[in-house]
Amino acid sequence: MNRPALIAAGVVLFIIALIAANTFYVVDQTHEAIVLRFGQPIRVVNTPGANQAGLHLKQPFLENTVLFDKRIQLLDTNSEAEVLASDQRRLLVDAFLRYRISDPLQYYEALHDDATAQDRLDRMATSSLREVLGTATSTDIISGRRDELMAQARAEVTAQAKASRLGIDVIDLRIKRADLPAANEAAIFRRMQTNRQQEAERIKAIGKQHALEITAEADKEVQVTLATAQEEAESTRGEGDAKRAVIFAQSFGRDPKFAAFYRSMQAYEASLGQGDTTMVLSPDSDFFKYFKKGPAG
Amino acid sequence: MPWTDNSDDGKPGQKPGPWGAPPPGGAGGDNEPPPPPRRPSGGPRRPPPPINTDEIAAILRRWRLWIEDRFGGAGGPAAPQLVGLIAAALVVVWLLSGIYFVQPAEQGVVTTFGAYSRETDPGLHWRFVPFERVQKVQVASLQRVDIGGSGDNEVPAESLMLTGDENIVDLTFTVQYRINDAAKFLFRVADSGDPTIRSVAESAIREVVGKTNLDDVLTNGRGKLQDQTEALMQQILDKYGAGVTVVEVQVRSANPPKDVIQDFQNVASASQYADSQVNVADAYKNRVVNEAKGNAAQIVQEAQAYRERVVHTADGDASRFNQIYEQYRRAPAVTRERLYLETMERVLAKSNKVIVDTHGATAPIILPSDAFRPRTAAPPPPTPDVSQSPPPPVIAQPQTQLPTPGSPSTGGAQ
Repeated sequence: MNRPALIAAGVVLFIIALIAANTFYVVDQTHEAIVLRFGQPIRVVNTPGANQAGLHLKQPFLENTVLFDKRIQLLDTNSEAEVLASDQRRLLVDAFLRYRISDPLQYYEALHDDATAQDRLDRMATSSLREVLGTATSTDIISGRRDELMAQARAEVTAQAKASRLGIDVIDLRIKRADLPAANEAAIFRRMQTNRQQEAERIKAIGKQHALEITAEADKEVQVTLATAQEEAESTRGEGDAKRAVIFAQSFGRDPKFAAFYRSMQAYEASLGQGDTTMVLSPDSDFFKYFKKGPAG
Repeated sequence: MPWTDNSDDGKPGQKPGPWGAPPPGGAGGDNEPPPPPRRPSGGPRRPPPPINTDEIAAILRRWRLWIEDRFGGAGGPAAPQLVGLIAAALVVVWLLSGIYFVQPAEQGVVTTFGAYSRETDPGLHWRFVPFERVQKVQVASLQRVDIGGSGDNEVPAESLMLTGDENIVDLTFTVQYRINDAAKFLFRVADSGDPTIRSVAESAIREVVGKTNLDDVLTNGRGKLQDQTEALMQQILDKYGAGVTVVEVQVRSANPPKDVIQDFQNVASASQYADSQVNVADAYKNRVVNEAKGNAAQIVQEAQAYRERVVHTADGDASRFNQIYEQYRRAPAVTRERLYLETMERVLAKSNKVIVDTHGATAPIILPSDAFRPRTAAPPPPTPDVSQSPPPPVIAQPQTQLPTPGSPSTGGAQ
């Protein structure tokens, strides 16, 4: 062999390789392929449902392939679309869409490529969300009927996608965030603040109330305790006085006249015998009987 | 696909892939040129089989010549065996390049020309190099996604959310998940790892928080919140067939937003203030009520003491009277007279006395003023209690020693 022969062999090999590269094509498990002949779709390989992934043949040079992802795609909608709820409050809604190419031929004919598809779907999703959420109040969107509204919007997008024959299956449309714009957020913060301040005042007032109740009850208890004690004391004293009266009555009652005399003597002594009395006496008094008349008296 | 390319992934037949370099023995008897080949271009050219009886020296010489030929460009014979050797080496390299390890926590998924063919468990495996591809998926280990930022890196857009009572809560959480089906995970859903989990988690937690009141989120509703979010996420992911199990949704922090956190703290301090007020009141109550109980006891005891004293005094007085009365009964006139005189004696002994005989007096009698001066200047020392009780010598009763004051007797006489 010589040099030209080698070159010839190389060229032949190159041509064979080129033809082979144009004949064989690989369809991944995650993809589906449309085979085009002169730009006209001829057939679809590895459609959803059919498991045809792997190595395939086509007519070299005449046919070429376009690949599409067959997995469920994630599309974040145009972030923070402003939605006007039925109570005229604005909400910033951030949603995401899950879709799958159900009919690659339709998809290819209607949209041609993924960027177009995503743009179209984004607009569809945003408009359905606006439409559906516009019928609900902001409270419903935030809490009450969120899942229901999402289901409505999802149905809307699914129907639109189907009607437009896009070859797309909408699997899910979910609201990720539905928040109030910054101005409203500040209003909420203010409301939360005043609400908390109110709560703090209420708690303080209740504490004060409890404290006053306790002190008032204590004061009452003090008074009641003392009054009860007084009652008991007076009754005890009365008891003592009564007993004394009985005792005196029993003993003095035996001779009231002598008792009166005896008590008078005691009383005189107690009241007059203190040294601070000046007595002006008449010599006629009984005490001076002998003083005046002498021992014969 | 990083592991696919030790060799290149180009079209078959262009390069000496496994097709282009068969084992040397297999090439024997082909339609190939005579023994002295030149320029074995190292590529698809197949050298003829070695049919010779040369010695090793000759082989070595040719080897040298071949090298010279390659580098020097001069013509020379090449060794077909050598080319075979190289081919064998290439085969070995190719075989080795097909070896791959699946780590204990992983699952290998093998695709042939992109089509799913099998899953391989942890261990050592072999694949058919350019056509089979391995993707390794972490199936045993937990993956985590932090939402609302992690550590100091805060993402308020993710963490601020509206609650059911239209307040705003600052909530960060972590989702832990495990891939339970490697094939589903790879082939069913695009962005099936963190991006999917993240968007589903954000959507789910906002839906759940939107139905929960702020106080519940902040205090005791967290467990429920986590459970509901977990269930909702799993439901959504199952709908996609993502091949993922949500293991745990863990709320890392749930706080009021920064703008209002001060006011929330004020509420906490307000309740402490209220508690302290109640405590002060309780202390007051304890003190005052117990004092009152003590005072009450004192009052009652005093009254009882009064009662006892009065009764005993009365008993004493009565007993004294009774005994005097006994004497009196025996000699009434004498006793009366004696009592009278003794009393008068004691009374008058301590008084200023002015005795005036008014018989025949016509003009008012004027007494000197010092006649009215009290006799306190010289009170007799031993007399104080004598002044209050009749003196013992008269009656000689032991009871006279009772320290009874005269005043209660006064009351008792009535």
